[in-house]
Amino acid sequence: AMALVRSLGSLLCLCALRVPAGPGAAARGPDVASYRERVRAMFYHAYEHYLESAFPYDELRPLTCDGHDTWGSFSLTLIDALDTLLILGNVTEFQRVVTVLQEGVDFDIDVNASVFETNIRVVGGLLSAHLLSKKAGVEVEVGWPCSGPLLRMAEEAARKLLPAFQTPTGMPYGTVNLLHGVNPGETPVTCTAGIGTFIVEFATLSHLTGDPVFEDVARKALKALWKNRSDIGLVGNHIDVVTAKWVAQDAGIGAGVDSYFEYLVKGAILLQDKELMSMFLEYNKAIKNYTKFDDWYLWVQMYKGTVSMPVFQSLEAYWPGLQSLIGDVDNAMRTFLNYYTVWKQFGGLPEFYNIPQGYTVDKREGYPLRPELIESAMYLYRATRDPILLELGRDAVESIEKISKVDCGFATIKDLRDHRLDNRMESFFLAETVKYLYLLFDPDNFIHNDGSDFDVVITPYGECILNAGGYIFNTEAHPIDPAALHCCRKRKEEQWEVEDLMREFYSLQKNKKFPLKQTSDCGEGECAKDPRDASLGGKKRNSKKSSHSLLSCPSQSFNSKLAVLGQVFLDNT
Amino acid sequence: SCSRAKDVTMPAKLPVNFFSTRSPVIDLFRGQLDYADHLRQDSEIALYFFYAPWCGQSVAVREEIERVANRLSDQVLFIAINCWWNQGKCRKQKHFFYFPVIHLYHQSFGPIEYKGPMSAVYIEKFVRRVMTPLLYISSRSKLLDFLSNYEPGVVGYFEFNASPQPPGYLTFFASALHSLKKDYVGAVRFGVVTDKRVAEEISLVRSGSVYLHRHINTSLIYPHDIMNYTAENVCKWALENRELLIRWLRPHGGKSLLLNNELKKGPALLVFIPYNPLAEIQPLLDEITRVALEYHSCNRSQAAEPELQHIGSSDSPASDSSDPDAHMKLAETFLITKYPCCNTVVLPQWHSISRTHNVCELCINQTLGVKPDKVNVPHCNFYEIETALDSFYLQEHTFFQVVSNSIECSNFLSFYSPFSYYTACCRTVERHFLSFISSEKTIFQTPKVAFSSHGKKDNADIQNSVPHIEDRNCFIPDLHISGTNITGLSCRTNKTLNLYLLDSNLFWIYAERLGASRSTHLKEFAAIVDLKEELHYVLDQNQSLTGSSLENFIKNFSVLYSPLQRHLVGGTSGHVPAERVVAEVTSSTFHGVVLSSEKNVVLLYYAQWCGFCASLNHIFIQLARLLPPDHFIVARIDITQNDLPWEFMTDRLPTILFFPRQRKDRSVKFPEDFPVSLPHLLKFILHHSSLSSPEPCTKECLHKETVLQQGHISHLEKEIQKLRLEIRALHQAHDALEAQLSEARREEHRLQQQKHTLEKQHKTLQLHSEQLQATYDQKNRELLEMAEKLQELADASENLLKENTLLRILVASREGKLQSKDESKEALQSEVQTGADDSSVLVSTALTTEENRIDHVDTVATEHSSENRTE
Repeated sequence: AMALVRSLGSLLCLCALRVPAGPGAAARGPDVASYRERVRAMFYHAYEHYLESAFPYDELRPLTCDGHDTWGSFSLTLIDALDTLLILGNVTEFQRVVTVLQEGVDFDIDVNASVFETNIRVVGGLLSAHLLSKKAGVEVEVGWPCSGPLLRMAEEAARKLLPAFQTPTGMPYGTVNLLHGVNPGETPVTCTAGIGTFIVEFATLSHLTGDPVFEDVARKALKALWKNRSDIGLVGNHIDVVTAKWVAQDAGIGAGVDSYFEYLVKGAILLQDKELMSMFLEYNKAIKNYTKFDDWYLWVQMYKGTVSMPVFQSLEAYWPGLQSLIGDVDNAMRTFLNYYTVWKQFGGLPEFYNIPQGYTVDKREGYPLRPELIESAMYLYRATRDPILLELGRDAVESIEKISKVDCGFATIKDLRDHRLDNRMESFFLAETVKYLYLLFDPDNFIHNDGSDFDVVITPYGECILNAGGYIFNTEAHPIDPAALHCCRKRKEEQWEVEDLMREFYSLQKNKKFPLKQTSDCGEGECAKDPRDASLGGKKRNSKKSSHSLLSCPSQSFNSKLAVLGQVFLDNT
Repeated sequence: SCSRAKDVTMPAKLPVNFFSTRSPVIDLFRGQLDYADHLRQDSEIALYFFYAPWCGQSVAVREEIERVANRLSDQVLFIAINCWWNQGKCRKQKHFFYFPVIHLYHQSFGPIEYKGPMSAVYIEKFVRRVMTPLLYISSRSKLLDFLSNYEPGVVGYFEFNASPQPPGYLTFFASALHSLKKDYVGAVRFGVVTDKRVAEEISLVRSGSVYLHRHINTSLIYPHDIMNYTAENVCKWALENRELLIRWLRPHGGKSLLLNNELKKGPALLVFIPYNPLAEIQPLLDEITRVALEYHSCNRSQAAEPELQHIGSSDSPASDSSDPDAHMKLAETFLITKYPCCNTVVLPQWHSISRTHNVCELCINQTLGVKPDKVNVPHCNFYEIETALDSFYLQEHTFFQVVSNSIECSNFLSFYSPFSYYTACCRTVERHFLSFISSEKTIFQTPKVAFSSHGKKDNADIQNSVPHIEDRNCFIPDLHISGTNITGLSCRTNKTLNLYLLDSNLFWIYAERLGASRSTHLKEFAAIVDLKEELHYVLDQNQSLTGSSLENFIKNFSVLYSPLQRHLVGGTSGHVPAERVVAEVTSSTFHGVVLSSEKNVVLLYYAQWCGFCASLNHIFIQLARLLPPDHFIVARIDITQNDLPWEFMTDRLPTILFFPRQRKDRSVKFPEDFPVSLPHLLKFILHHSSLSSPEPCTKECLHKETVLQQGHISHLEKEIQKLRLEIRALHQAHDALEAQLSEARREEHRLQQQKHTLEKQHKTLQLHSEQLQATYDQKNRELLEMAEKLQELADASENLLKENTLLRILVASREGKLQSKDESKEALQSEVQTGADDSSVLVSTALTTEENRIDHVDTVATEHSSENRTE
């Protein structure tokens, strides 16, 4: 998912806004229901061939109809595709796979695994499957969601990764041997995303299991990155985790960095954490200042801010989706429309696209069926309901079916210039690409629940509200229910506090008729508030300047009503 | 094989037919651009459809092209070219950034790229324009038709009598084609006149002259002397000088600033109508363009005659040379001949809750005693009625208490002019008459200012408190609109509107965004959008969209105290189930649920896309389940879908407001620095709900308390129920643990047993090992002994060897001795030789056997030791 980047040349001219691609204002938008069914068929074509020809290997090789291990030996595609099954509504297969995984997957193996990939695909996949298993009709144990076989598997996998975090800086090594820990002589160079992409999974694990070690190491790594940012507020691409020296100094939002920023935002949302959000907002400022040109984001030198590569990377296309989560919908849409023109040119997004030249970059012409642009379309469609976004979905379905469908599955596009295919189907195709496409065409999916439905679960720790929407997708598109984090830990104390308040509540209403008592009660209420106020005020003095909570979105401006079908509005400044 | 599979790649699939073989479109799916150019030679008009087979838009437009081809294939050649296939000529020659691309050729002229909407009717219209870029205008009536269109018309006059191809004609023809390159909908139309008399109508006398018709400004003749007469120049001239009274907006779907640029110019009236470009007559469009024309006609008479009638009735040449005096005269007439005119005015309501309205017929009279003529009373123009209203305000005391069913009239003098006076005839009508008035109530703001004097009126936004002009058709049906008073309004108001048309077949989504109801079958809608003020008004959707309703809409926008209400777009609340834990509030239910309910209200402002909101859902659900429903409403409003009055808007999401019961105006905001959690929310609510004023305790209060305590009891009962469930869960967990524990114990037992047996096994193995050790030692000893024996044997053999040597020496000496006596005893000597040989053979055999035995012992020893290791 990451690539080392090198500077290519100076930036010539970016101002040329490409001819608006395809006057696509067709009268009727794409037929959502029929595309949804086509996506479903796509999923099963790939999934069934994986089971038939590749299982228990990690991935399917679609041109030779066999399997191979890529990131370990965990039947990775199966783990990754598990929650997609539920999103497609196939509970029986979900249940079957859960048992297959419990019996068949073993992490006590002598395999060198990427810490990053194992976390996002395996730990993330198992966690989300664990949290969704009740919805999928799996019989769960009494302590669920605070215990369960899949949770134990996720925990086991995560514990195998912990040795990588034993470095002087707290930033993890990139690779770990699942049996023996970090190999002697392991390279200390890790990419930024490989350091900052743990908080979502690890904090969830800590909240569910009660063991704080996971969240602690994830936070420590995040803080180490924050400490090592450059004077102008940017981070580079690769860093030495022992000496904390930047090895690759290209700063941008794409390969090597991408999910670090993503997890700052998603961690802030999941944990209601102002500190993470303030870090992101600082980065966001620097990114806007130094890398943003005409709604494109380029690569710059992290210390000087000079442009090093005027390139758009396929992996960068997650950015608009992230922006929409924090309410920057206007900018998100503008950038999305830029990226969409690239898709229209090739029928996919090349790994690198040279913006001034308007063409692919040598050796980076491939499109491994990545999900990022579709992901952004899904988020933006939630926010704007703009039919343009469905058109991107339509284009993606048509392209993938026409170009990469083969007898045994869907093959990576090796070269977008001539649509030559490669013998690979990455596990994220079923985990992410298909999932986001399906969700784009299925506005009523439970994942889009806006809080009008929910489940009440009685756990030994008390009553718990679950599945009320607001799912946070990890960077491999595995949804995490934020409500679940409030189910297990510190549950009792909060419950007692609430119960005390409720008692006061009823008595207070009674006392309303007796003004003497009312004042004293009121004073008590004040007292309860004051200490908290002081502690918050002391800690977050600087953030108070911005007068609004960091954990909020701006409401949309008036002109956003009309910002559909490609129309963009300039700021009213 | 593993490494080979990694390198396996597959070239792209070979291209196949994109169009069906029966299609009238020729499908060159191998991208044979050269063949397409060859085919084109035989056809006057050709359409190229460049596509990429993987492109969704190409797939979507394929049908549309087919539909056009089915209608026009006898006159136009339709060729589809796969311009993606990398072996094809097309891909090698063309470099497109998007697909599909449509090119048209008119004989050798081209390509003309079509950039309009990708729908069959639009494409067909464009193809037809390319087929006949010039319209032949044969008669005077045709000329009138041609020029009366709202789209600008360019007419060229060419005499064909003199020569078959009059000079300049080809250039004119080319400029018509050329304009299509710039202007994909063909907004500028080109016509040609050959008849001298027809040409004179527009004062064209010389063959070769070109005329641009304009409705408002003076028409123009192409300045041959200033600009070179080329196709490009004519086209440019026409596009630059044309009038844009009303513009079509057709966003192309790519990233564009079209609306941004247009709407930033000022308030805009957007009119959405279903438009078929192929239709012969467009009555609604004509009506709208007439309004637009009127609105912009600044220099014309009030009862503006369309200029064309003017042309039609007089033989004098109008157009660019038209006499400026004529306009002056008309303007003077306008000033002098003032006849009575009337407008209906709705008076502000005294109380907003009142079910009645006072409606006055306000007429402007020049001379005393003239009563409004009910048969043919023109509307007054905007200026006049405004002045009248001003005076009317001065007389307010006379009117504001009119509550009468009969019509009462009174006259009063004009404020400005002593020569004219006004008549006002007022009556009271039931509210439901005024169906156009929104039924929203304004409870939270007492409508106190209904009749304050002009100029002091700040609260202009109070509903229905301003007299406003309504379409008289609504309630005085026997009066007909005969004139118009928006003539030239655009120049007289400081709230000038730009007028735009949108095709609701293509762009209805914008109308929906502005609040067009989704249920209407008729896709007609009008809205005034003011980007700067961040608000918009909507033409009442129960009224049909007609010229007069549009006129009134414009008028109401332009008057000083605009009666128009900012439109609040609200989400659909239809399918929302009524009983929800967290109540869903919309624009329309906001007042009812939040402001006028008798309960405390906790209101969450949220948006579905905002990550920080969605992750709070579970907390709000918990809160709603906790608070007693008799006293509290926990509600939320999706503020992306639902506009609210300004005072209730918020600029950050999520925002939590608490509206205390009985003091709804004292809403408080949950402090932003606090993390949103259940205890914090409860404390917040607790704190602020206690602020409500204490009442003296009466019987009623006791009753209330009983109710409250009952609520508490039921809450506690719920809690107990929950605790029971929890206990049950705990029991279950306990049982599960117990089961696990016993399982573990059993497992432990089993393991211990296993350990036991293992230990036994271990012992026997140790025993065995000891035995083996013993045998090993024994064997070792034996080996040593054997070695000793061997040593002995070796010594013995050495002795033997020595003996043997001795013997040999002995023999040799003997031989020496015997040699002398050899001859005689030869036979005896040979015998002795043989005997010595025999003995040596014997010795060596014994040696070899000995070696073999040692070898054998060695093997045994190694075997033995290896056995030891395995143990």
